[in-house]
Amino acid sequence: MNNGCLEQRKKEGSKSFKFGSKSDDFALAIAKVAAAQVCDSVGFQGFHLSALETLSDIIVRYIFSIGKSANLSANLGGRVEANLFDIIHGLEELGSGLGFAGASDVDRCVVNSGIVRDIIHFVGDADFVPFAYDVPRFPVVKELKEIGSFREKGEDPPGEHIPSWLPAFPVPETYATRSSVENEPMSVSIGKETESVLASVERKTKRSLLNLQLRIANNEYEGGSLHGVENASRAREDFEGNPYLAAPLHSGEKDVEVSPVVLPAKLSNEVTLRNSVPGNAIVGNNETFASAIDAMKSGLCDSNNGKKKLLSTQRPTLRFKIGIRKKSLGTVPDFNPRNEDLEKDDKKRRVETILKESIQSS
Amino acid sequence: MNHKQQSNDGKHDDDSALSDFLASLMDYTPSIPDELVEHCLAKSGFQCPDVRLIRLVAVASQKFVAEVASDSLQHCKARQAAGAKDKRDKQPKDKRLILTMDDLSKSLREVGHFESIDFVYGVNVKQQEYFADNPSTGMDPASRDE
Repeated sequence: MNNGCLEQRKKEGSKSFKFGSKSDDFALAIAKVAAAQVCDSVGFQGFHLSALETLSDIIVRYIFSIGKSANLSANLGGRVEANLFDIIHGLEELGSGLGFAGASDVDRCVVNSGIVRDIIHFVGDADFVPFAYDVPRFPVVKELKEIGSFREKGEDPPGEHIPSWLPAFPVPETYATRSSVENEPMSVSIGKETESVLASVERKTKRSLLNLQLRIANNEYEGGSLHGVENASRAREDFEGNPYLAAPLHSGEKDVEVSPVVLPAKLSNEVTLRNSVPGNAIVGNNETFASAIDAMKSGLCDSNNGKKKLLSTQRPTLRFKIGIRKKSLGTVPDFNPRNEDLEKDDKKRRVETILKESIQSS
Repeated sequence: MNHKQQSNDGKHDDDSALSDFLASLMDYTPSIPDELVEHCLAKSGFQCPDVRLIRLVAVASQKFVAEVASDSLQHCKARQAAGAKDKRDKQPKDKRLILTMDDLSKSLREVGHFESIDFVYGVNVKQQEYFADNPSTGMDPASRDE
């Protein structure tokens, strides 16, 4: 297949390709239907798809060029909005290649131009078949969710160098974990932060993101909750719409009959290790996970591969009946026993935002 | 003086004819929807709150497309007539009138609008070369032996 035609088009100028992007697909699709209707009214009984696409492209470009020349005439006249005469000028420019009646007259009036008379005759003669579909107004303008400024929110900007009319900073819970919030609650709420506190917050932010990734990765083979028992049901409610985002079920929560999976001998050690620390589950988790975290942090390929191997082989261990301890391995920040003290709504909101971000980034 | 008066009267007539025409435009619904026209005009920077002007542009572009399509139809009919003339004993192969790239590019080349539009589309619409497995593939159906 020769691509010469395409290359030639590209050489001719990219400025004419205003309707090549994906966002114009809808307009082109509508133009295709319109072109098909016009062909039908003219007398065609069928068309080649390539011919129809070409014709629809031409419709769009024709309208575009009318608008461009009309806008140019309006701007030359010192106006922003075009009027009837600008449009007629634009039409005359486009029609000048073929010619129209009265084109050669020196003192012709725009109103009396042959183009307009042709259009009037066309309207009189042709049957007008309305467009087949109801077309909504497009493109739909998305309403931006405005983050209020510091002044609007009533907050003091953290620093004199920040004017109050600038948009406010995002909520700290969206980028910090619970542990960081708990350990340094004051540092977040107070406006001014010292450098050391900022650095520690940054560290904790990085760790929280890493933990989040681990959490999501572990969720597949651990079978534990995404964020602790107290949030499992709520998380499920949150993602009711999308079943793939729902937290996995715990044993006894739902009657799901799943056949038990026979573990290979290699993995049984790992599982028994986890199962054998019900009481000190949190501490045990920390240890097993700290090593994994360190390995990942150091960026060793081997450990990653090993981890990946672990992941793939451990997938079958996801089961709904085994009474695995309620805390998941991934919840390193959960080692703080004061989980229950946090507000439930706050958690819900945070979790939603974090998950959304992680899904978007993945 | 007389001429000026006449021309003034003529202008008034033209003005009224045009304003009547614009008013009557709203009665017809062209095949090209207003939303599409508005979108394309907005893309070009054209701003106008008057819906009658949008309708005018829609009608003008429909007229243009109808011209191109009718030219292609004539080419198609001419080709079929030429084909039928060659073999009078057989029926013409394509009774149906089908819009093809060949006819479309011929009519676009003739219409000649495209020198003034900032792309040279009509002249360069051509069939892409392709490799066929049969020497007679892609030949004019009228000249092909069946």
